[in-house]
Amino acid sequence: MRRPSPATVRWLILAALLVFWELMPRTGIIPELFLPSLSKTVAVLVKDWREYASELAVTLYEVAFAMLIACGFGILTGALVGGIALLRNLLLPVFSSMYAVPIVILYPIFTAWFGIGSESKIIFAGVYGFFPVMLSTAAGIRTIDAQLLLAARSMGATVPQQITRVIIPASIPTVLTGLRLGGALTIIGVVVSEMLTSAAGIGYLVTRYRTILDSPHVFGAIVMILLLSILFDTLARMIERRTLVWQTAGRKQREGEVAEVVTRAAPAPV
Amino acid sequence: MANVANLSLVRSEPAGAAIEVAGVSHTYAGREGAVPALTDIAMTVNAGRFVVIVGPSGCGKTSLLMMMAGLRHQTSGTIHVQGKPIDAPDPDRVGVVFQEASLFPWLSALDNIEFPLALRHAPREERRARATEMLNLVGLQGFGARYPHELSGGMKQRVSIARGLVQDPPVLLMDEPFAALDEQTRMTMGHELLRIWSQTAKTVVFVTHSLTEAVYLADEVLVMSARPGRIIDRIPITLPRPRTYEMMATDVFGRLRDRIWQQIRKSA
Repeated sequence: MRRPSPATVRWLILAALLVFWELMPRTGIIPELFLPSLSKTVAVLVKDWREYASELAVTLYEVAFAMLIACGFGILTGALVGGIALLRNLLLPVFSSMYAVPIVILYPIFTAWFGIGSESKIIFAGVYGFFPVMLSTAAGIRTIDAQLLLAARSMGATVPQQITRVIIPASIPTVLTGLRLGGALTIIGVVVSEMLTSAAGIGYLVTRYRTILDSPHVFGAIVMILLLSILFDTLARMIERRTLVWQTAGRKQREGEVAEVVTRAAPAPV
Repeated sequence: MANVANLSLVRSEPAGAAIEVAGVSHTYAGREGAVPALTDIAMTVNAGRFVVIVGPSGCGKTSLLMMMAGLRHQTSGTIHVQGKPIDAPDPDRVGVVFQEASLFPWLSALDNIEFPLALRHAPREERRARATEMLNLVGLQGFGARYPHELSGGMKQRVSIARGLVQDPPVLLMDEPFAALDEQTRMTMGHELLRIWSQTAKTVVFVTHSLTEAVYLADEVLVMSARPGRIIDRIPITLPRPRTYEMMATDVFGRLRDRIWQQIRKSA
């Protein structure tokens, strides 16, 4: 018998989980209060889609601005800290240890400063997502192959040309990874801050329905957040793949195609 | 640069000194004070000659080459390339090929070769035509669209050589370009380099660890001592050209290689 492909297995596991989700509450093994069945959750989502859509819009708006802050300031600071030795020695240790601090403890302060509206969420999530973007940008710039810069200099590249034609393209892979991590963190940041103190957003729905023990509505909100995160990750990976053709495209081809081309070309170069 | 499209494919007669190194010494700041790296280097490379520098690890041969490229500054002494002092990289006078092929992984082979021309905003068609010409010269026709990771080690160095030649500089400096290649590929590449050299009339200074490679390629081999590096011997290689693999088995070849080896051993 042929072994099923990993993709098939992954889909089977997902299907099994969904079946499990449906059957456990229905058979009464798990009480509906703890886990409402899949069909009930979906039914709630369909029935109250207007409410979910309008709260999702709030969350998306906050996430978009938070990402703008995280990416903009993260890339800018990361480039400065990674590129300038003095700043690096002064700031990198500080930023690295701040990354380990649970920034969520600052959120109450942010609500005191910026209120419980969208501003405090945007700023909190922006700060939350800032660190991985900034750190990976700094790392990307710091770990550039010095040989590439030497080669560019030997060809007469000016300093601005070294930046635009070597440093930026060479650091794109690490920066993109940072953007993916930072983006995921801003989503977490927005949802968490909505759950803590707010009057709108998907996270707020989770908290509100939990206090009145309406489990299907809580799970409906959780499903929305899951879908949002998965969508973002898929999108981010797609952009990474598109941008980094030179990193990934070859790997697929190398297996067969190159060998074929090499043997076909005459005289075969080495 | 004006007529980059017409690359001279005929070797011109050697005329005068392409590189003149006089009284070059170099010290760098180490943990325990100044470390002398090079002492009183003097050498002249005539136009169109192929000179190979050998010496033990750490003798400063790569430093010397980087100074000729204007990528590093000597503590004292002068280096003239094509009659003018060189104190900054000048791609019109000097092309450099590094040990690691140092290709930009995000550019295709052809774009890598075009890179130096793009830096000076040469027109696109001219760039493309010139780079394609170089790609063909190094025997990679049809591989222009490949990215570096899709090329073998030898092919990468071919691209690197093409990039070094694309601005048609009279001088090509090569820093152990074949060191990372396997033995067979290395032999083939040495042979290919001689073919390219004979077609382009460049002055070549080539640094290597391989004594066989040195004798096979060179018009003249300069032997450097262990640090602080000095030139301790200059050995003219009188083997006829074009060189063939069969020459490696001859007594003359063996004696030349042995003489270099004795010198290096004495100094180390």
